[in-house]
Amino acid sequence: MTTIWSRRLRRAGSAGLLILAASLPVSGAMAETIRMWTFLNPAGNAPREKALAEIIAKFEAANPGAKIVVEPQVWDQMTPKFLAASRGGNAPDVIWVITDLLGDAIKSGSMADLRKLFIDKWTKEQVADYAGAYWDQCAINGKQYCLFTSRNYISVIYRADLLKEAGIDPATLTTWDKFTEAAKKLTVKDASGTITRWGFGQGFSEAQADPQMMIPATLAEQGTIFEENGRARFATPAGVAGLKLQTDMITKEGVTPKQAATWTPDDLIEQFSAGRLAMYTGASVRVSSVQAKIGADKVGQMLWPGNGKKPHSPAVMAGWAVGVWSGSKNQELAGRFLDYMTGPEGDSIWVTVGGQAPTLGTTIKSLASYFDKPGNGYMTVTTEGARDFGWLAPIDFGVGGYRQALNKAAQNVVVNGMEPKAALEEAEKEFNRRNNR
Amino acid sequence: MSTITLSSAARARATGRHFVPRLSWLWSGLFGCLVILNIAPLIWGILTSFKGQADLFRFPPAFVSFTPTLENYERVFLSGFGGNLGISLVNALAAVVLALVLGLPAAYAFDRFNFPLRRLLFLAVVASIPLSIGAAALLIPNYVYFASLGLTNTPIVLPMLYAAHQLPMAIWVIKGTIEGIPRELDEAATADGCTTFQILRYVILPLVRPALGAAAILVFVGSWNEFVASSVMVDSPSLRTVQPAIYSFIGFFGREWGPLTASATLAILPILIIFALFGRLMVSGLTKGSVKG
Amino acid sequence: MRPSATAYIYIAPAFALLLFVLFSPVIYGFWFTLFRIEYGAPTDFIGLGNYVRLIEDPTLLPTLSRSGVFTAACVVFTIIIAMALAVWINRLPARTAFIVQMVVIVPWIISAVVATLLFRWVFVNDIGVASYIIQLMGFDAVQPLNNPTGAMVLLVAVSVWKRIGYAVLVLLAGLKSIPDDYDEAARIDGANNWQIFRMITLPLLKTPLLLIAIVLTLSTFNTVETPLVMTGGGPGDATRILAMDVYERAFTNYDLGSATALAIIMFAGNILLVMSYVRLARWQA
Repeated sequence: MTTIWSRRLRRAGSAGLLILAASLPVSGAMAETIRMWTFLNPAGNAPREKALAEIIAKFEAANPGAKIVVEPQVWDQMTPKFLAASRGGNAPDVIWVITDLLGDAIKSGSMADLRKLFIDKWTKEQVADYAGAYWDQCAINGKQYCLFTSRNYISVIYRADLLKEAGIDPATLTTWDKFTEAAKKLTVKDASGTITRWGFGQGFSEAQADPQMMIPATLAEQGTIFEENGRARFATPAGVAGLKLQTDMITKEGVTPKQAATWTPDDLIEQFSAGRLAMYTGASVRVSSVQAKIGADKVGQMLWPGNGKKPHSPAVMAGWAVGVWSGSKNQELAGRFLDYMTGPEGDSIWVTVGGQAPTLGTTIKSLASYFDKPGNGYMTVTTEGARDFGWLAPIDFGVGGYRQALNKAAQNVVVNGMEPKAALEEAEKEFNRRNNR
Repeated sequence: MSTITLSSAARARATGRHFVPRLSWLWSGLFGCLVILNIAPLIWGILTSFKGQADLFRFPPAFVSFTPTLENYERVFLSGFGGNLGISLVNALAAVVLALVLGLPAAYAFDRFNFPLRRLLFLAVVASIPLSIGAAALLIPNYVYFASLGLTNTPIVLPMLYAAHQLPMAIWVIKGTIEGIPRELDEAATADGCTTFQILRYVILPLVRPALGAAAILVFVGSWNEFVASSVMVDSPSLRTVQPAIYSFIGFFGREWGPLTASATLAILPILIIFALFGRLMVSGLTKGSVKG
Repeated sequence: MRPSATAYIYIAPAFALLLFVLFSPVIYGFWFTLFRIEYGAPTDFIGLGNYVRLIEDPTLLPTLSRSGVFTAACVVFTIIIAMALAVWINRLPARTAFIVQMVVIVPWIISAVVATLLFRWVFVNDIGVASYIIQLMGFDAVQPLNNPTGAMVLLVAVSVWKRIGYAVLVLLAGLKSIPDDYDEAARIDGANNWQIFRMITLPLLKTPLLLIAIVLTLSTFNTVETPLVMTGGGPGDATRILAMDVYERAFTNYDLGSATALAIIMFAGNILLVMSYVRLARWQA
């Protein structure tokens, strides 16, 4: 045993020396190398990863000498790390920024103006192709800091086969009452009275909190959930009614299980895949992976019901904004890559290879037959929703933690028996305090 | 010589008994529960790693009635996991070497010499245990600190961090064993004209090997499972370690149980092998370290 | 022990590494907290402003005391169960002991996130294996995460489960080093098992106990992954512990000023804890 050890130690020792000898920074960039941070690993074989690999390969083929190096990052640390790296002078040339921190990233001066890089060369039609809330989100004082490559629309995902079986047309669920009735109809009990399938799954966990139904309900009435100075505007009559609506699904209507208080977005997908939920609050970006589990034609996405005045309430939208680092030495090439990745060719690869919803108007037209395929209908629904019934959180001030605060309020109502108004007042206070307002 | 003494002592211990409380049903019951608690998630995880998408979330759960597939492993390897395993192995071994090379002389000095501030300095070593365990909380300032030194995204940053995180523990374990080595040996060597370094090299080192083995395993496991620094301090795919690679399957688009469990299964294999080979050594090495420390 | 200045040469390399990698970043971190942090960068010097803001937060004290209860419960249960297991394993024949030891360490060697996710899926989730078996036996599945006490109990359970292997290993090593003749002598004097354990075994295990008490306390007090994956801090604030608070401040609110200040306070607390353990055990370096 002794000899084995010493041999091992000796061998390990030489390995250590090798490492010390090779201790040169690997990021020493060549003139034509572009570094990009994203959470997608182009070496992988998930649909979006394959799409990214294809986009990179095509771009490199069209631009001899250019090399795109992807450095995959842990998604929730990526943006804070970028802001730190930007100060340290070693941020990547191309960066994907999470919506919650987009305002911080732009205001910190870490992102370059894309107009100067390539947008100024675009035709009017090209610019118009991008028009919409996502474009506006990146446009500040005549500058354009980012383009969205992945769009997320959070509303109701449903089992198409079960709704059909129950004779429910999702397009007709335009009021909360109709929606609740449908959820009741979809809730199934076995002979002993135990519920085996719930009509509507929700998740109030603070871990990776998705926006729940009270937010669209509140937005339909008051248009926003923040004051102009960034303070929370949760405990309003509309907010209280929204939270009551959301928690009544558990306590009064019995269409959402009490476990919702602890469920995360991942739990919802797993419950849904196991056939325990007929509908749930979920994100459009994850529909394709749910379809891979239970069949493409069985999963659809609908818009939120409306408040009686409008057919649908605004859904919370999010996504990944891609920009060029202001400190990059290769801004021109980085811009060209970004232009390609979010442009018509890139967009159609994201859609057809990556199973992602389109971001450009022209893609929707050019790929019309693609969207008619069973299971792809959700892309049209969410694209239309994004145009008419969508809400992006403001970037003039940080809003980090608002979904968590509202989810905690819902937990407090369901588990601790708090009144919705009191729970929201507490959430408001905490949000304001945490954000120094 | 030392090896022989140790193994015969180990044999004696294995057959000997201390204070036998005759409640073996209680222990057996306790252990039965523990087996279920410990092994069930492991087995379930391994089963899951062989399931296709459609079998993942069946209810009732699919124990055996599913079509096994290697697609998850294929996906894991395609994403570069083989390389990640290699990097983690090199990093962890480098950390082991660094921690032992620095830890042994320090432990020797703390045990065998008297010098001003000795006690205070040893307390500083003990106090640095929280600095390593709690380092995750200082993620961003830490990143800025290492970036300003130009160390982020280099091959040495992770082995250096791992070694520093585990060094206090290594010193503690090694020092304890040195205490068990009779001082008469040092004195005899000094009388023969040995320098302190020669004593360390020819008297202490041969006798302290079990403790080095134990410390090596603790450093290896700690380094292998380190996640936070590994995910933040390096960017290049060629420097990526196992834990961030596993974590990438709990990504933005949701938990992907198949590749997640496949990569986690692959990641525990090296540790299990090392334990199977050196587990006994570890127990004998820790022995002296912890009892007489 | 001989007085010698050469000793400094032996400890210097180790201290250089500790200073460079562990102490300096903390000092840098402290300097960082003396400024207003905007978009991740220090701007104006505000002295202890970040700390004042933290201390004024009415949730800080409840979170601190919750962390204390959580940590104490985890450490006490882990040590008691690990001690029982170690004593039992120590009496087993070598081969059986080795197998049992391998079983015991399994949760410890799996990464915290994956281990907690698997534990939650298999034992807690209502589409999990345990829930299915409970239903097969004709009981209603329980939903422990749905009430504040249940969630905390479960969080303690999973934390104990995760770290027991480490504690057993260290204690087992300690037990193995106690010479058998100690027990025999005591038995001849007429001591019963409990007396032997109390008067001989326990005092001889002082140092391994101190070591695991320190490591368990610190790793439990500073854990983020387990509560984040298991409960997300809920329901309400029932399982929100200090380390999670730091994480949320940094990555949810992106308030690096107060997050780093809280981390620095926790470091100070950690070091105090270690020192008081050493003191309590009247342990000599």
